[in-house]
This record gives sequence, structure tokens and C-alpha cells, in this order.
Amino acid sequence: MSQTFTKSMARNIFYGGSVFFFLLFLALTFDTNSAMPDRDNRGAITEEVALGKRVWEENNCIGCHTLLGEGAYFAPELGNVYKRLGSTEAIKGFIRSRPKEGIPGRRSMPQFNLSEEELNAVAEFLKYASEINTANWPPNIQG
Amino acid sequence: MKYKSQAVAKPYFIAAIGLFFGQILFGVVLGLQYVVGDFLFPEIPFNVARMVHTNLLIVWLLFGFMGSAYYLVPEESETELHSPGLALLMFWVFLVAGALTVLGYLLVPYATLAEMTGNGLLPTMGREFLEQPTITKLGIVVVALAFLFNIGMTILKGRKTVVSLVLLIGLVGLAVFFLFSFYNPDNLVKDKYYWWWVVHLWVEGVWELILGSILAFVLIKTTGVDREVIEKWLYVIIAMSLITGIIGTGHHYYWIGAPEYWQWWGSIFSAMEPIPFFMMTVFAFNMVNRRRRNHPNQAAVLWALGTAVMAFLGAGVWGFMHTLAPINYYTHGTQITAAHGHMAFYGAYVMIVITMISYAMPMLRGRNAANSGKSQVVEMWSFWLMTVSMVFITLFLTAAGVLQTYIQRYTDDPQPFMVVQDKIEIFYWMREIAGVVFLIGLILYAMSFFVGGAEPEEA
Amino acid sequence: MDAPGLKALAVKNNYPPGDLAIWIFILAELLVFAAFFAAYAFTRAHHVELFNTYQRTLDTNAAMINTLALITSSYFVMRAVAAIREDRVKLCVRWTVAAILMGVLFIAIKSGEYAHHYANGVNLRTNTFYMFYLSLTFFHYMHVLMGMIILGAVAIKANNGSYSAREHTGVETGASYWHMVDIVWLVLFPLVYIMR
Repeated sequence: MSQTFTKSMARNIFYGGSVFFFLLFLALTFDTNSAMPDRDNRGAITEEVALGKRVWEENNCIGCHTLLGEGAYFAPELGNVYKRLGSTEAIKGFIRSRPKEGIPGRRSMPQFNLSEEELNAVAEFLKYASEINTANWPPNIQG
Repeated sequence: MKYKSQAVAKPYFIAAIGLFFGQILFGVVLGLQYVVGDFLFPEIPFNVARMVHTNLLIVWLLFGFMGSAYYLVPEESETELHSPGLALLMFWVFLVAGALTVLGYLLVPYATLAEMTGNGLLPTMGREFLEQPTITKLGIVVVALAFLFNIGMTILKGRKTVVSLVLLIGLVGLAVFFLFSFYNPDNLVKDKYYWWWVVHLWVEGVWELILGSILAFVLIKTTGVDREVIEKWLYVIIAMSLITGIIGTGHHYYWIGAPEYWQWWGSIFSAMEPIPFFMMTVFAFNMVNRRRRNHPNQAAVLWALGTAVMAFLGAGVWGFMHTLAPINYYTHGTQITAAHGHMAFYGAYVMIVITMISYAMPMLRGRNAANSGKSQVVEMWSFWLMTVSMVFITLFLTAAGVLQTYIQRYTDDPQPFMVVQDKIEIFYWMREIAGVVFLIGLILYAMSFFVGGAEPEEA
Repeated sequence: MDAPGLKALAVKNNYPPGDLAIWIFILAELLVFAAFFAAYAFTRAHHVELFNTYQRTLDTNAAMINTLALITSSYFVMRAVAAIREDRVKLCVRWTVAAILMGVLFIAIKSGEYAHHYANGVNLRTNTFYMFYLSLTFFHYMHVLMGMIILGAVAIKANNGSYSAREHTGVETGASYWHMVDIVWLVLFPLVYIMR
């Protein structure tokens, strides 16, 4: 009798605890949502920036790079590349100049054959990303 | 095997091992690309090999979870599966869809795949682990719904045990949270916030319920310990998993544009996420100690204990090492993350699926309870080769990550990313060697099923 | 001593009261609160001015009443346990309900404080002090609610005759949880409202 009772108490704690913390999580999410407009640089999300995010996704840049520290660890962090390279022109130039056959013996970035429109868009997207309030991350310009 | 319909688990398990093999093949390719940067470039660039590696991992684990459910639910519910035909149909649908997707990754440029599959209509491609075309994702939802329906109906008409109910909750959670993969806003901060509702709430949330219930099932079967005891502890463990893991999601919200109070909430709660894994280790060893029988399938018991330990080390300890915000500030997005990720996934989810396969496969192939002694010896060799090589992979990546963190993030004169990568190359070579040993271990595992001989007696 | 022997001993000595599983959770809860308190103390040490300034905006009188409410409710809960130990079921129910009512008072007063802060535009992001104050008190607030639900379940079950002098683990378990909630407040109140 006591054993069964104990198991049902554990069960109640599981259900009660899960609901409790899920509700708390929803409350914090609601607050986070209210806080976001002051931090997420959404004012800079133009149609061009939105296109740039699409270009970023459809060429799977995250498959080699990190963005705000998330992604793959083969190539540099790009959340602050706008600051590191200094301009959208520099970003475009880098992407444009990737050799099709790669660099012998070195980690190589594909030539994506992006149009001018796509290059502008992805550069603007990375500029937008660099201005998000990430609590001072990364620690320095190297990403 | 008590119920005929449990047999549908077999193709799922075979597919799981097959895809696992593919995953590791590509893993070895990736490891080589880290040091021979243009290996297979431009035919298979790093990002393509990576998405094949990670997607295969997720798909084979899903095959493993589904096979586990098809095996254990009829036995727990004491009734045949609702529709073995549906289970087999979904097997082929999932396998073909998965194969086509992987072929798509390999055969055409990703941007072309996006165009071909109509990504423009509902763009969900291009995010880590969620690289699948939208139509594949929709297919996954269909397969998941059919699977949940099948399992749900079986549990409904039969005996409802804690093991099957916890498994069902975990699987339903898996399906529900996957739906967030369809939410892809232009706002990068929102994108990242809800992306973690798929990834974190899967592997540090509902997947722990799946892990716990399968472990409990195998322990009940192999130790003979009273179900009441095991089920009570299952509840305690999963309660701690969700109590720590839900707010623990905040440890992904430190640096992505979310408010800074997440650095406090996330650190405190995620620091406690090792607790359920520690409990699982104590629980597993305790149950085996208190066993009332010496089950002939000693290999399965080894895998079960190994799962608890490696999950605690990989997910718990290595996770803890970089979960506190002040530390994470420097280690975020480095090889420390890769080190933790590999051991955690292996220890928790790879190993629990293998545990279940090791337990169930002999019976699915007509034996009474276990493979022959000779076969189990080969299997145990594969356990040690895979587990020890994974420990070394993790150690080497940790060393690489510590150096990377120091030189690129912490020191007063931080070096550029590529310069740092050159400096830590030695660790990548050593990791690759360990990775090859892992592959050998996996081959041995597959071979163990073909080693013949008579079944051992119950001791 | 083996596990069944330990359990037999525990049952014999009735220590710790209630089920072992609940104590694992109580310890986990205390661990989280302890971590939060430590974080608060640590952060305060680095922002003394800020913390002192905004601490003055808190309603100490309301918090005082809340403290008395919780201490009283813990006393009521102890009387409820004493009652069921003597097989006085109806009395147990009455004391439990009284404790819940004290909880209602706490929630009402705390909600009033939150409404006041919210009207003044204060939220989790206003500054570090308010982040801690709101996080700590809201986390505790949710535990008071949870405790009231647990006590409610205890009262209902007691009323249905589920407990007796011989078997009333549920009452003791609920009581332990409520005492934990009270103890946390007894640390939180001086730490956040008073200490300068």
C-alpha cells in the first residue's frame, strides 16, 4: 500500500512540476517577447535584409559558420563580420572572390554564384545581425 | 517474443544501424576535412557532409525510437500492435523520404534543392539540423502522426503501464516540438529563440523521457527487480529532467539578443540538469545490484549501464562545464561545444537505442533471450571500442576547445579564427584517429549479429 | 543495511516524515533557491548603491504581513498534522483549510504589490535589483500557489476519509512542502526587503 502511494506521489510531482515550470517558461517567454523590440534591431529588417536571410539559409552558410555563436565550427563567426571586415562591400567582395576549385590544401568556401541582388541582401543581413544587442558577445572582434 | 506484431521493430532496427553506419562514414570524412581542408571539395563541401552526418544521426535515432516503441509497447500493453501494416508502410515511407533527402543534399547544390522543393512557398530550410526541405518536414509530421496513432491505439486497448505512458508522453512531446521547425521568422532573434524549442526541448527535455522509459523497460526485463520500484524511480528521474530542463533552455539565450536575465535563470537551472543523469546512473547500478536473476543477455546489461554513465559524463558533466554564463561567454561556439555535443548524443541517445537493439534483436531473430556467448563477446568488444574512442574524441576536442577559447577569446591579443584552427590541428588529427577506431567498433557491432553459436543458459 | 531494512527503519522512526521521494524534491528546491540567494548576495556586493536605492521602493509593511501570514499558516499546518495523528479527521480538514486561507492572503497582498510595480512601469528588465526582486519573489509566489494546490488536495482527501492516524503520509508530505515554502520566505524577506 505504501509503495503504490509513493509511486503516485512521484507521478504527481512529475505532472505538477512539469506544468509549473512550463507555465513559468511561458511567463518568461512572454516577457522576453516584450523585451525583444529594444534588443533585436528589428527596425533594420527591410525587404532586402529579409531576402538576405533567405540567401543565408538557402546556401546553408550555417553549415560551416557560426552566427551569434550557433552553427558549425569549420569557419569563422559571422555575427560580427560586418565590424571585422568594415563594410558591406568587403563582405560582398569576399564572397564574390571564392575560387570555384577551392584553395589547395586549405579549408575552402564554395563559389555560390550569387547575383548582385543576393550579395547586397546577404551583406545587409549580416550588417543587421551585427547590430543586435547580444549582451556584448562575442568578446572581441575575432568572433 | 511474446507478441507477433513486435516483429515490425526488426526492419526499424536494421535501418537504424545502417543509417548509423552512413552517419559515421560521413563523420570520418568531416574529421578529415578539418585537417585536409579541401578534401572532396567542391563535390562534397564541408557543409554538405555535415548536414548528411547530423541528419542521418537524427533519422537513425528516430528509427531506433520507433522500433523500440513497436517492440516494447505491445509487450507492456499485453496486446498486439494496433496495425503492423501501418507500421511497415510508414517504415518504407520514412526510409525512402530520408534517402531521397540525403541524395538531394549530395547530388545538387543546396540552393538548387531549395528551389526544386519549393522552399519559397514556406521557407524552413537552411537552419542547423533542420536542413530538410519543407516537404520532407511535412513527411516527417505524417510519419510521426501515424506512428503516434498506432502506438496510442495499442496502449489504449491494453494494459497501461508507467513505462509505456512515459514513453508516449516523450514521443508526443517530440512530435509537438518538431512543429516549431515550421516557424521561421525574418527576425533572427525570434528565429533562434524558437529554434531551441525544437532542439533543447527535444534533447534536454522530452527525449529524456524516451531514454528513461526504454532504460526502465530493459532493467525490468534483465534484472527482474520489482516493476513498482523501477517505475517510481522513473517518475522521479523524469520529473527532475523537466524541472531542470525547461527553464534550463535559458542557457541558449545568453548571447542571441534575448534579455540578460536569462543569464541568471539559465545558469541556475541548467547547472542542475546533470541531476537526473546522475540519478539515472545510481538507479541503473542499484537495480542491477539488486537483481533477482542473471539474464543471459549480459551485453544488453553492459549497454544499459554504459548508457547511464556516458550520458551523465557527456550530457551532465561536459554540459555543466560550459553552462554557466560567465564561462560560456568565452566558450560559446567553440570546439568545447562540439566535444560536449558528441559525448552527450552518444552517451544518452545512441547508447540507449543500441541498448534496446541489443536486448530485443536476439528475440526478433528467433532466439530465446540472447545471442551466443561468442557473439556477446564480440558485442562487448564493440561497446568498449566505441565508448573509449568516443571518450578520446571528446578529450581531444576539449583540449582543442580550451586552446581555442584562450587564444581566440580570452587573451589580450586575440588571434583570428583560421590562425587558431591551424594551431590546434594536432588535436584534430588525433580526433580523426579516434573516429576511425569508433568506426571499427561500429563494424564489430554489426558483425556480432552474424557470429553464431548456442544461446547461453540463464546463470 | 540493505534497502528494505533501511525503509523499515525509516518507517519505524517516521523520519524523515513523509515519503523519501518528496525529500529529494525538497532538497532540489532548496538548492535552486540557495543558488538564487547566493547569486543575489554576490550581485548585491557589486551594486550596493543600486540595490540600496531601489530596495527603498519596496513595501516592507506588506511583506511583514505576508511573513506573519506564512508563519501562521505553517502553525495551522502543524495543527492539522497533529489532528490527523489523533484520528481527528474533521479537525485536520479545518486546520488545513485555515492554512490555505492564509495562503490566499499572501497571494492577495503579493499580487497587490506586483500591480503597484507594474503600474509604475517596473519589470524584469528595469534594472538588476528589480530583476532579482521580481524573479525571486515570483518564483516563490508560484511555489505558494503550488503549495495551496497541494494542501487543497490534502484537505479534499482528508474530507473523503482517505487519511487516518495509522496512514497519513500525504498530510505529512504536504505539510513538509508547505514548511519549505515558509522557510524560503523567511530567508527571502530579510535578504531582499530589509538587509542593507
